[in-house]
Order: sequence, then structure tokens, then C-alpha cells
Amino acid sequence: MPKRLASSLSDEVLEHVFSFIQSEKDRNVVSAVCKSWYEIERWCRRKIFVGNCYAVSPEMVIRRFPQVRSIELKGKPHFADFNLVPDGWGGYVLPWITEMAGAYPWLDEIRLKRMVVTDESLELIAKSFKDFKVLVLASCEGFSTDGLAAIAASCKNLRELDLRESEVDDSSVHWLSHFPETYTSMVSLNISCLGSGEVSFSALERLVSRCPNLRSLKLNRAVPLDKTANILRLAPQLVEFSACTYSAELRSDVFSNLAGAFSNCKELRSLSGFWDVVPDYLPAIYSVCSRLTSLNLSYATILSPDLIKLVSHCPSLQRLLVLDYIEDSGLEALASNCKDLQELRVFPSDPFDAEPNASLTEQGLVAVSLGCPKLQSVLYFCRRMSNAALVTIAQNRPNLNRFRLCIIEPNTADYLTGEPFDVGFGAIVEHCKDLIRLSLSGLLTDCVFEYIGKYAKKLEMLSVAFAGDSDLGLHHVLSGCESLRKLEIRDCPFGDKALLTNAAKLETMQSLWMSSCSVSFEACKLLSQKMPRLNVEVIDERGPPDSRPENCTVDKLYIYRSVAGPRFDMPPFVWTKDEDLALRLSP
Amino acid sequence: MSEVDMAVIKPEMMKSYIWLQTADGSIQQVEQEVAMFCPMICHEVIQKGMGSSKNYAISLPQRVNPAMLSLILDYCRFHQVPGRSNKERKSFDEKFIRMDTKRLCELTSAADSLQLKPLVDLTSRALARIIEGKSPEEIREIFHLPDDLTEEEKLEPLKNTTDDPRIRLLNRLYAKKRKELKERQKLKNIEVEEERVDDRSVDDLLSFINGDNGDSKGIKNSKSKKKNRRRKDQQKNTSANEAIKNHNKEPNGLNQVCCSAEVGQTVRAGVGATSNLHDVEDDIFDNKNELDDGDIDDEIDPALKEKIDREVEDFARRLNSDWPERMQEILSFGHERKPVHFSLNGNGSLRRYANSEQR
Repeated sequence: MPKRLASSLSDEVLEHVFSFIQSEKDRNVVSAVCKSWYEIERWCRRKIFVGNCYAVSPEMVIRRFPQVRSIELKGKPHFADFNLVPDGWGGYVLPWITEMAGAYPWLDEIRLKRMVVTDESLELIAKSFKDFKVLVLASCEGFSTDGLAAIAASCKNLRELDLRESEVDDSSVHWLSHFPETYTSMVSLNISCLGSGEVSFSALERLVSRCPNLRSLKLNRAVPLDKTANILRLAPQLVEFSACTYSAELRSDVFSNLAGAFSNCKELRSLSGFWDVVPDYLPAIYSVCSRLTSLNLSYATILSPDLIKLVSHCPSLQRLLVLDYIEDSGLEALASNCKDLQELRVFPSDPFDAEPNASLTEQGLVAVSLGCPKLQSVLYFCRRMSNAALVTIAQNRPNLNRFRLCIIEPNTADYLTGEPFDVGFGAIVEHCKDLIRLSLSGLLTDCVFEYIGKYAKKLEMLSVAFAGDSDLGLHHVLSGCESLRKLEIRDCPFGDKALLTNAAKLETMQSLWMSSCSVSFEACKLLSQKMPRLNVEVIDERGPPDSRPENCTVDKLYIYRSVAGPRFDMPPFVWTKDEDLALRLSP
Repeated sequence: MSEVDMAVIKPEMMKSYIWLQTADGSIQQVEQEVAMFCPMICHEVIQKGMGSSKNYAISLPQRVNPAMLSLILDYCRFHQVPGRSNKERKSFDEKFIRMDTKRLCELTSAADSLQLKPLVDLTSRALARIIEGKSPEEIREIFHLPDDLTEEEKLEPLKNTTDDPRIRLLNRLYAKKRKELKERQKLKNIEVEEERVDDRSVDDLLSFINGDNGDSKGIKNSKSKKKNRRRKDQQKNTSANEAIKNHNKEPNGLNQVCCSAEVGQTVRAGVGATSNLHDVEDDIFDNKNELDDGDIDDEIDPALKEKIDREVEDFARRLNSDWPERMQEILSFGHERKPVHFSLNGNGSLRRYANSEQR
């Protein structure tokens, strides 16, 4: 037992103090102070975040934290969003649910991202957790409306059901009707990913009308415009709403009904959806625009003039997602109207067309960086950029913490000078000292990585594609970026040397993804031998990497640290150093 | 305490003052309405009839010394007045809480022993704010806490394997031995290392690992044997969650939007990145970056390592001798098909079986 000083606090008091410390980071620090704090903290930890479901086993988590109420798990690596991870790779949640069903009867929140969730898992959740409240399935797959029906039927206290961007199979079950008539607790419902057959509109209306606490409602595409107005009238207390398909031609009765419905919604702060919207209907939302803080128009094919009009009605906007139809002129209007803007994402309307179909250039981003003093987070797709613009942006906005630039065509150079963008991105990392996420694009040499290694000390996630000249580039990043957690690389000439030299660094990171680079299977095996706490997975659908010539490089490589050892659910196209890994069980 | 409640109390107790005695023996009298703001004092007065005179002074818990009592009474004196606005109360609290951490801890403990919840909450929140954003070292300094987690536990705070202090002792011993050997080896090899220019290619590295650098067959075998054992131990030796870490918070908890068009540069396959792999001078890479951490054990004299392993095994056996009941417990769980055995690192199997301790 550690010595107790006169001023020291009892366990109960400490536990009470810890209850006011909720951030993951601070909780981890508390557990590392001394043995007694470690013990106290682990018993009162209620929320767990596991960034990589294979880094630890459910048994380990349960052993250390016996009283968890809320868990968040992530499965596949980020590049799975770009179809770089083959189907069947992994990320199954059932083993976790099975263990937690026994150990955490009071678990009330499960949040999953990029995991494979089966109906069996959903049924197990419905059965095992009596007070279940929150289910978030982001970018998940593997389940159908049958599983949803089980949740709806059993979870009497469910508050949040969020299926954002998941793939749901339609089993023709009217799952919404499985919410009993006595069920009234819904606060947040996101079914925007569901197809038209999967939502019974009458059941939805009944559900909305009996849930007075409903604050966030994101419907799917198939809800027609007049129905939208009905729903809004049933739930004027909504704070977040995803609007639906707008019909082709303007009808004044539909319009006025919609406008009236919107004007009732005094609490509305966030709008999204807008699929196939006809600009003539946009004025229907003008009554709520002045209070809007978040607007997602990334599905709306409205052109710049209408966008400018809309944006000029939204002075409180903090977050905007939009297509490149907004053009430089629209971004300039944004910069002058929306002084509270914190996050901007501009997506390409037609990324596969070589020619730009909208006049969006680096100028738009420069304007926003100049006009919006609170801008912190940027995701920007464009076709042309200059070092000068990047330097200006960096100098204007040193408070940026997320900067993701996607110059659509790989290896595009500075359009003014023909130079690579080393200097531009160098300025970004040098000025933006709090940068935690960065995506690179355009023509880049090893120099940019030298800058990144030198300046980007707080960088946690880096995405690189078609960049660099040699292993030196990767070496700079691995040896310089002290806070690096996730590194994802594709189509870069990085190979064995940088990887092996910085093997120890990999254990301090969450994961490294390299595809279409120059890493050999020999190096992978070597790395795996040297670093037992790393799982080194070679993903190669062409066949055993051993069967190819020695200097042949691996297709995809996913390295992540783990205290759980090698996983037992690897598909045949994932190769590790253990050739005799006969423990390949099917999921 | 409302007026109605007060009226029910016997007349003898309707004094204006309550007598309190702190652990140091000193006795003082305090205005009744102020003292009764503390549930503990209230309880003593009403349930036990104490506090009415000097002879029947209420003994306060040990953690409430005169200085703390004074502070607490100041707090009670302000808050027991019913007419104050929330703004006033908040403002008072903010000023009240400004004190050094040591006093804040004392005050928290004292308030807790008097069951004065609002003050406990106020002081606890203040302590939480002090703790937030600091490093473990800083926190230890502020609160005068011992630095008693093992090196391994500190480096990877989430990897702590067992709850059993005896197993932790074992870990510590092992870690200490490894460190000692590292020092000894460093001194021995200092000449050798200075000469060694590291321009090994992958093949060289491979052969080094496989022991083809002139060592005898015996050593080669023992090296790979050690590696396997170490790998197994490492896997068994680690627990909890290395990946539990900071959550990348996005504003308002908003996530990425899946726009079907969000593919950007990553979709362009086959657009030739004609990279010219120019030769990189290998001496650019520092010696010390070269596979250090994983390499240590492979460079240790095998005989010495065997000796350490034996020592640890002895130690483990000694620990085990007084664990017959514990063993029974463990064996009866029977999750794993593998037999329980105390290998090199005794905690290997224990970790799997040891259930959460009852508190």
C-alpha cells in the first residue's frame, strides 16, 4: 500500500473526482499516475474507445475495466472507404458482443465504425442489455432489417439508432413497425442509408408522433416532399433534420406547405440531405437559415448563384459541406457572410472528368482562409493549386487542425511555377502548429516529408498518395512525427529500408497502411519476427506472396500494434509470417 | 432545516449555538443555522441530541481540523442564507475555491466526512480541473504521489497485466534483469559498435537474424528458441488495451460525409507514378534506429539468459507454494483447453484465468 499523506484523498473521494474527468486522454493519464489511482480509475471507467478492434481482445478489456457502460469500436482501416480493403478482410463484432453480453449486463451504448455486424449480433444486443440506449453503426455492413427489427422490438429505452452510411440488406421486414406502441424514447434516428423498400412511411409517422424527445431525424431518400412536410409538422422540436427528395417541378401548394412546416421548427440547427433538390424549393428553408450552424449540401446539384443566395441567408454557419458547384465566387460569398465557419468540405461533382466542370480553384480556399477566422478543418477537392496559395492559407490560418487537400489528378504540379508542392505543404505544417490531420496530394518529392518530420509534431494522422521519391520520405515521417498514430500510404516508392529502420516506431502507432508501394514480403516477415507486438498483414489476392520472385513487392500491407496477438479470423488472402497458421477459422 | 422541523425539536435544544469539537481537542461554538447546514452535524443534533453544550460537543471526524472547519463554516454561512441568487452563489464559489492544491485536498476530505455534498462536488470539480491536461509526472508532483508503477506499466499504461502484487513483483524483477544485462552488454560492445557502420541490406539483416554471422550452431538454435519463447511470453505477458487512446474528436461529433463522389485522387489507378528510386546512402540512417528494441535479447549471452530464466522460475515457484487455493480456483474455470502451467513467466496463464477481484 502506498504511503498516505495527511492531505491525501480517500478512494471514494478520488473516484468522485475522477467522475468529473471524462476525456479518454485524461483518464489514461490518471491511470498512469500511480498504482492506487490505476486501481481506482479502472473500476470507475465507464466509457471505452478502441481504435482498432484487433489491437486488444474483448477479454482483456473486460478484465481491466469491469464496469463499462459505453464502448466504441473501429474495425477496418480508413482506406476501406476507397474500396482498397477486400471483402471478408475482417472487423467482426460478434466476438465482442458475445463477451460483453456476459460481462457487461448494464452496457447501454455501442458505437461501431467500419465493422461487420450480423443479424445475430444485433439479436444478441437486443437480448442481453436490458437498458440499452445507443446504437451507432457507421459504415458497417453484414446485417439486414431483421436485425433492426430485433432491436426495435426489445430495446424499450433505446434513445439513439444511427445507421449512417451502413449497408443494410433488405429482408422485407417492416422493422419500424416492431417498435411497440408503448415505445416513446427515441431522441436520434438516422436511417438515411436505407433503400426505399425498407421504411414504411406510416410506421415512421406514428413513431415520430409519439416520441416527444426526438431531436435528430435523418430520413432516407425515398421520402417524398409532401411527406417531409408532414413529418416536420409532427416534430417541430427537431434540431437536426435530413431533408429528402425534392420533386421535379415547383408546385406552389407543396412549396407553401413545406415552407410553413419549416417555419415551425424554431430549434432547427442542422440540415442535410437535399438529394435532387430543385433550386426553386430552396426558399422554403429560408425561415430557419439564420439559425443554421450546419449545412450539408454535398448531394445537392445546385449551382453557384443559388448556393450564394442560400449561403447569404446563413450567417451563423459553422459547418458547410458542398459540391464544387459552389465555385470560387460562392466561396468568396461564404467568406464574407459566414464569420463563424469552422469546417469546410468541398467535394468534386465529377471527379472522373479530366476537364473541370465548375470554376473552383485554389482561389476559393484562399478566400475562405482569409475571411473566416475560426476555420479549423478543411477538406478540399480541386484541380489546380499553387505553392503561393498554400503559403497564404498557412499564414492566414495558423489555427487549422485538419487540412486535407485533394488535387484530383495525381502528380499535378504548381500551375504557376511547375514546381512540386513541397514548399506549400511545408508552410502548412510549419505555421499550423496544432495540425492533427493532414492529407497530401499533387506533385511531391522527399522534401515535403522532411518538412513534415521536422514541423508536424502534433500530427496524428497522415494520408499520402502518389508522392515522394525514395525511402527517405517515409523515414522522415516515421522518425520525425512524434504524435503519429495513423499513417496511410498508397502508390509511393517507399520500401523495406525505411520500414525496418523505424520498426520500433511502428509499435508507438496505431496502424500503418501501405498499398502499391515497394515493400517486399521478406521485409514483412522480418518485421513480424522482430516485433512480436505488431501484427503484420499482407493482403494479396493474387496468391501466396512466397510463390512469387523474391523481389516482388506486396500488394497491400496493414501493420498494427496489438496486445492480443495474431487474429484467428483472417481470410485466405491475408498472409502473415506464420505459414502454418492453420487456425484460420471462418467468421 | 425548515422552521417547521426546528419547532419539533425539544425546547432545550433550541439554542442559538452548537458546540463542536475537532480532533485536536479544541471546542468551539457555532451558530446553529450555519452548523446544521452540514448533514453530519445535523444528524448528530437530531438523532443523538448532541451539541447542546460544551460537555456534549459533537466530535467531528478526524479530517476536519480547525482550519478546515473554519473554511467549511464560511461556506455554510454563505449558502445557508435562503435569499441568494444563483449568480451570487456561483460567484462566491468561484472565489472560495481559489486555494493551493494541498488545502483543496484537505477541504475535499473534510467536506466529504461531513457529508456536505455541494462542497464536495465543488472541490472535486476543482481538483478534476487541476488534473486535466497534465502528465502523470506533473500530477504525481502536485499530489505527492509515489512513482510506483513499473517501467513497463508506465511506458504503456494500458498494458498492465495483472492485479496481483506478487506477479507485478515478478515482472519488475525480470525487467530489472533485462536492464542490467543491457548495461553490461553495452559496455562490452562499445568498441564493436563504434566500428560497425550500418549499411546492411535486407538480406544482411535477414541473415543476421537467422544467426549466420559466424555464431555457432548452438547459439543459432538457442536464439530462435529464445525468440519463440519470448514471442509467446510477450503475447501472454501483455494485457489490456494498447489501442485505447485518444479519440480523434471532431467538432460536434460530426463524421465524414459519404458523398459518392468522395474518391478524389485515390481512384486513379495505373496513372503512372514514374518514381525514380535513386540510391539512398545507408549511413543516413542512424545506428540507434536500427532494430534496437526488439533486438536486445538476441544479443544477450545465451548462458546468462538461461541463468536469469532459472532465477525467475525459482522465484515463481516460491510464490506458487502458498497458492494452493488460488490454483484450485484457476483450474476450475476451465475456459482454455491448454493445461495451466507456470512457464518462464508465471503470470502467463494466470492472466487468462484471474477473474476480477472482489472489492
